[in-house]
Amino acid sequence: WKRDEFRNCNQTPFCKRARTRAPHSLDAPLSLVAGSLAVSPEGSLTAELSHPSRPRPLLLRLSALPPHALRLQIDEDYSANTPPSRRFHVPNVLLPDVDSRALHLSKPKTVGGASTVALSSDLDVVVKHDPFELTVRRAGSGDPVLSFNSHGLFDFEPLQESKPEGDTWEEQFRSHTDTRPRGPQSITFDVSFYGADFVYGLPEHGSTSLALRPTRGPGVEESEPYRLFNLDVFEYLHDSPFGLYGSIPFMIAHGASASSGFFWLNAAEMQIDVLAPGWDSAALMENGRIDTLWMAEAGVVDAFFFVGSEPKDVIKQYISVTGTPSMPQQFAVAYHQCRWNYRDEEDVAGVDAGFDEHDIPYDVLWLDIEHTDGKRYFTWDRSTFPDPEEMQRKIADKGRKMVTIVDPHMKRDSGYHIHEEATAKGYYVKDASGKDYDGWCWPGSSSYPDMLNPEIRDWWADKFSYQNYKGSTPTLYIWNDMNEPSVFNGPEVTMPRDALHNGDVEHRELHNAYGYYFHMATSDGLLKRGEGKDRPFVLSRAFFAGSQRYGAVWTGDNTADWDHLKSSIPMVLTLGLTGMTFSGADVGGFFGNPEPDLLVRWYQVGAFYPFFRGHAHHDTKRREPWLFGERRTALMREAIHMRYSLLPYYYSLFQEASVTGVPVMRPLWLEFPDDKETYNNGEAFMVGPSILAQGIYEEGQKSVSVYLPGTELWYDLRNGSPYKGSVSHKLQVSEDSIPSFQRSGTIVPRKDRFRRSSTQMVNDPYTLVIALNSSGSAEGELYVDDGKTYDYQQGAFIHRRFVFADNKLTSINIAPDSLGKKVYSTECVIERIIVLGLSSGAKKAIIEPGNQEVEIDLGPISLRSGSKSVAPTVRRPNVRVVDDWTIRIA
Amino acid sequence: MRVLAFLLLLWISAAATASPPPLETLGIPPQDEAYYRGGVIKCRDGSGKFTRDQLNDDFCDCPDGTDEPGTSACPEAKFYCKNAGHSPITIFSSRVNDGICDCCDGSDEYGSNGTCKNTCWEAGKAAREKLKKKVATYKSGVVIRNQEVEKAKLAIAKDEAELTKLKGEEKILQGLVDKLKEQKRLIEKAEEEERLIKEKEEKRIKEEAEKQAAEENKAPDASQEADSQDTNEKAQEDESKVVEHHDGDITDHDNHSPEGEASVEVPDIKAGTGHDEPPVETSAVPTEEQDHTSVNSEGLSKAELGRLVASRWTGENVDDVGKSDKKGHEDELDLPEPAEEAFEDEHDIPEPVEENYAGYHSEIEDDRHKFEDEELSNVSDDEYVDDHEEPDVSYKSDDDRKGDDHSDLTASGQASWLDKIQQTVQNVLQKFNFFRTPVDLSEAAHVRKEYDDASSKLSKIQSRITSLTDKLKQDFGKEKEFYYFYDQCFEGKEGKYVYKVCPYKKASQVEGHSSTNLGRWDKFEESCRMMHFSNGDKCWNGPDRSLKVRLRCGLSNELNGVDEPSRCEYVAVLSTPAMCVEEKLKELQQKLDAASSDLSGHDEL
Repeated sequence: WKRDEFRNCNQTPFCKRARTRAPHSLDAPLSLVAGSLAVSPEGSLTAELSHPSRPRPLLLRLSALPPHALRLQIDEDYSANTPPSRRFHVPNVLLPDVDSRALHLSKPKTVGGASTVALSSDLDVVVKHDPFELTVRRAGSGDPVLSFNSHGLFDFEPLQESKPEGDTWEEQFRSHTDTRPRGPQSITFDVSFYGADFVYGLPEHGSTSLALRPTRGPGVEESEPYRLFNLDVFEYLHDSPFGLYGSIPFMIAHGASASSGFFWLNAAEMQIDVLAPGWDSAALMENGRIDTLWMAEAGVVDAFFFVGSEPKDVIKQYISVTGTPSMPQQFAVAYHQCRWNYRDEEDVAGVDAGFDEHDIPYDVLWLDIEHTDGKRYFTWDRSTFPDPEEMQRKIADKGRKMVTIVDPHMKRDSGYHIHEEATAKGYYVKDASGKDYDGWCWPGSSSYPDMLNPEIRDWWADKFSYQNYKGSTPTLYIWNDMNEPSVFNGPEVTMPRDALHNGDVEHRELHNAYGYYFHMATSDGLLKRGEGKDRPFVLSRAFFAGSQRYGAVWTGDNTADWDHLKSSIPMVLTLGLTGMTFSGADVGGFFGNPEPDLLVRWYQVGAFYPFFRGHAHHDTKRREPWLFGERRTALMREAIHMRYSLLPYYYSLFQEASVTGVPVMRPLWLEFPDDKETYNNGEAFMVGPSILAQGIYEEGQKSVSVYLPGTELWYDLRNGSPYKGSVSHKLQVSEDSIPSFQRSGTIVPRKDRFRRSSTQMVNDPYTLVIALNSSGSAEGELYVDDGKTYDYQQGAFIHRRFVFADNKLTSINIAPDSLGKKVYSTECVIERIIVLGLSSGAKKAIIEPGNQEVEIDLGPISLRSGSKSVAPTVRRPNVRVVDDWTIRIA
Repeated sequence: MRVLAFLLLLWISAAATASPPPLETLGIPPQDEAYYRGGVIKCRDGSGKFTRDQLNDDFCDCPDGTDEPGTSACPEAKFYCKNAGHSPITIFSSRVNDGICDCCDGSDEYGSNGTCKNTCWEAGKAAREKLKKKVATYKSGVVIRNQEVEKAKLAIAKDEAELTKLKGEEKILQGLVDKLKEQKRLIEKAEEEERLIKEKEEKRIKEEAEKQAAEENKAPDASQEADSQDTNEKAQEDESKVVEHHDGDITDHDNHSPEGEASVEVPDIKAGTGHDEPPVETSAVPTEEQDHTSVNSEGLSKAELGRLVASRWTGENVDDVGKSDKKGHEDELDLPEPAEEAFEDEHDIPEPVEENYAGYHSEIEDDRHKFEDEELSNVSDDEYVDDHEEPDVSYKSDDDRKGDDHSDLTASGQASWLDKIQQTVQNVLQKFNFFRTPVDLSEAAHVRKEYDDASSKLSKIQSRITSLTDKLKQDFGKEKEFYYFYDQCFEGKEGKYVYKVCPYKKASQVEGHSSTNLGRWDKFEESCRMMHFSNGDKCWNGPDRSLKVRLRCGLSNELNGVDEPSRCEYVAVLSTPAMCVEEKLKELQQKLDAASSDLSGHDEL
């Protein structure tokens, strides 16, 4: 990592200015003009914010979005004294119906310089006029939940009509000059979260901590705010507040009494301070309040307050404005094999065969940049890939897919059709002087399509048609890399801030969303290619709020060391909390050669990531899972097999995420919001509601302490041994797997037959693993569809809830029948039901309807040579998953 | 007959796909059928037992898969397919009924109707043809190999005889040389004494003369001294020329830097853009950016900065970033290049500077190359050529020299030269009279000459002994079948590169003038089935280059299939008769016989 190549807050004038300001120290704070307060025809509250030394007021709009979200918008008034340009509102991020969903607010009650508006029966907002301050409260108790500008740090630098005499707007960083032709326009404010023990979110940063550590105030040594600025950082640090590839300006606060969230829709560079108690020298009066300071270089205030009150509610509220994660295809949830680079068709065939020889399943083989003709995307290096269609067909014959990389930097080569077209149509981002911006990336001199423009996104999407993308087939999917955008010779390895986009928008205003629009256009391209029937799969490195709608992300170029393995969990959990549930880290670590033991541990952890892909830098040694001796091959095979057996569970969790936004991989506190022990546990994680796992993050570790939350028992996933809840267990570390447990009271669906890829598992029978709680009951869900198309949106899916109570297991249909006429059916049966915690020595079970009797035997938890038979197992009930049935333990 | 057999096979396969084979034999190899008889069968891992009707009932009762050889129910089970007409195989039971044909008889897909055709006939035929060819290759190969083994035995015996003989000669010659040395020492001592006496005498005369004409004699002395100093200086100057030239480069480089800075200080974003390739002069001085700490972007054009940053990920040389800070350049010059080591033993020709260049060039990769060539045309031509030819030339001449030595020493009149030398020395020694004063100059010269001759002969013999000992120390395989690899190099072309593998010595990758050392001989691995070369040129951000050459039976020595599965770790395949082993031939022959007899059995049906 090259610290001095990236700006810190002190080298960033707007940040330095805002950060050195003391609370309530502005000479003339913004105040609400009492007489301007009104309810607009659409039902929002509007008002003017004025400032004695400024000619134009700011316009404020406050709207309530059910359920339990408040939106605050503040922009300049452009009606008179129009400044030469307008501030940028980030388009196409919020769901299109957000505006129309707003409630019609009642008229505010104003008493003593403060106006109160009811948002719902249990919430209201208090707007203090001078200085302007906003507080969201529980209506009954009057307890605050969130507040804005309670510390008087709200500042809004208005656009100036011209540069004042003697002023310099230019900024220098290293050899780069930012012309800043529009001058200062930054925005700063403070937000307080009440009843919070910790705050979370704000990806992407390397971190070993799940909670965001304070960045300023007592006890903070190296004070640097969390930076949100999408950057391609070479060999990033595993623990640092500096910005990485993506930015989601969304923070969640959680404490024993409340959960809340705050989201600022702004794509300019942002810096956020988490202020340690006592930062403002105020006495530590208020218990459980966390103050934060938000600073952005440009844009407007478009902020959302989410009131919870449960943590999952906060996520749902955020998802209700930015959209639900897209439902992936089945294959995408399975294992991916990548390397920079699988060099040629022979190499591809060899790796593919290697998996089969070693009985290791995988679903997708990836090709990095070297597959192209001179890094011209959408082309093939025909000397190494003479017949890409045939290659894909051979892979597809085994039910597998391929992915090729398509980056946004277009080689400036007059022989390259995309460059010619983009140049002719004026589709590239322009430099400050108006010429096509010319930067340097893999192909050398490169230009970047202006993804802000919907017309250009359409044009880009068309490039993915089979006709345009020669050598592509229906089993080829796409990987978007370098879309921060990465520019090797640009300031901080990205595009100059004064570069210009469609509509005279400066790059500084949308920087953090460039990759998002690129991802969107690519995803749309695959959707178009498949005539709207094939769910796209696009992996992106850069992301922004809303990226969850377009595909998966990964944590970029990590390093093959134990620290990076450890930080991958907080990083992936944080992405999950902020909507990006489909994420993972490169298994093995991108840079460097992992020690074989690290690689094995990484597979064991990575097999739980929502996005599970092995990847490696081209300087590293080959590391396909069979290259490290028989024992390690067996261990990695076992880890991958574990993932494949859990695919029905994972797929069901992805479906849940696609409806609610609640992530597949969850911090413990999302499932146990009252258990304080879990709040800052970044080593263990939940997969859905039922499975808890904790990685082994140290070389040669002999024992590990694992905290199991809740009051109920937990069962070891491998051997069924029970462990008490609410206890930190000191466990012997096993080489076979990382500590992983099933929570009692849950039912996990599995498929225990191992195939080459998930495609061949479609008709395989299920295993249900039931872990009974202390009252002898449990429940779980199974979602199944065709794994590929959008037919599920018209009802073509199976959604069952399995409920075990009173010695009876019942399968209940929970699919709503209002969706459409399409039907998904399958002959799949349940071949085995394992019941953990069953006290009776029952020997048989009766299936209803039909009154058919089946045996119960003691069986193993997993089908591995040497596994002990430990749990009562219903043998071959063979009930179909599509049917309603009941199985009674007799 | 053939047609009938074919039809029969078709019928069998049709029958196979129409109804699944009986459960009690499904997926079970013939030798195991006995295990599955009986009413209750044990799981092989001892974890439990199962009843006969649980055999292949599509539910896994034994975690090790004993009860489900014919279904996919147990992850650890294996499925046996008979593959009549071809060879039987055992597959993972996860392949059973997965919609993909794994057994040529289609028996693994009994659950899906007729997805898999029986292709064993064709596959078997092709396999038999292949096997036949292989057997033929082995047959001829074994003959060649045996010849080579015989030759090797003779040659080794010859080498050993020569070595013994040389060692004897060395002893004798050493004795002579010692004697001559002693003689020489005595002569020199006598001469020295004589000289001292003479000097004394001269001094005395001189002193006397000085007294008479003190002033006149000094001048000529002084001028003589000055003369000799002059020559000394000149010699030093010559020696330092190379270094100086190099200094010149640095100065040159210094001169460039300000220019670079100047071009960036102009706030013109377009500077240096719009070109696919950088202007040639920017890379006048090749540098190897080993020091990747932080980019001093001040001195770089936009393109150079782009390349430099890109190079972190790619690990490629940033040769194009010619104007990178001077410090980096100097560092680079100080760094001993990996190539240096390689050339050291190849005799002392390369100068430090050249090594730098050579090492540098060996690091060049693909498309960077064209910049290189342009760059280097700026460097004086002969130097460029020198740099590049040196390693190879020296390598070859090394061999040649050995050859010379060899012919010299093993010339037919071998015995006579030693006798002659002995004789001559004897004569010289006897003839010399120490008690004669002054020393007889012609005889002293004679002794010296004899000493020089004899010791040069001795060192030749010794070097020959060393090289023979080195050679005989090598592992030539069980039957010395690799003996004849010793003085051979094998070449194979792959893309734009020529790969040169010299067993017991080194391997290299050659592209035009530049040669990259892929490793020095390390050892045989896998009981002589693989040659390993290691510690080749260092890869930036990667390992030292290495090469593993897999050996296969073939009628001639052919190198191919060169590949680089991991960065800078090369693999190749060498076909050679040395690998055509008789036992393997027998094995193959048996296999072929078995395959053919199976077939004839079918023919008889």
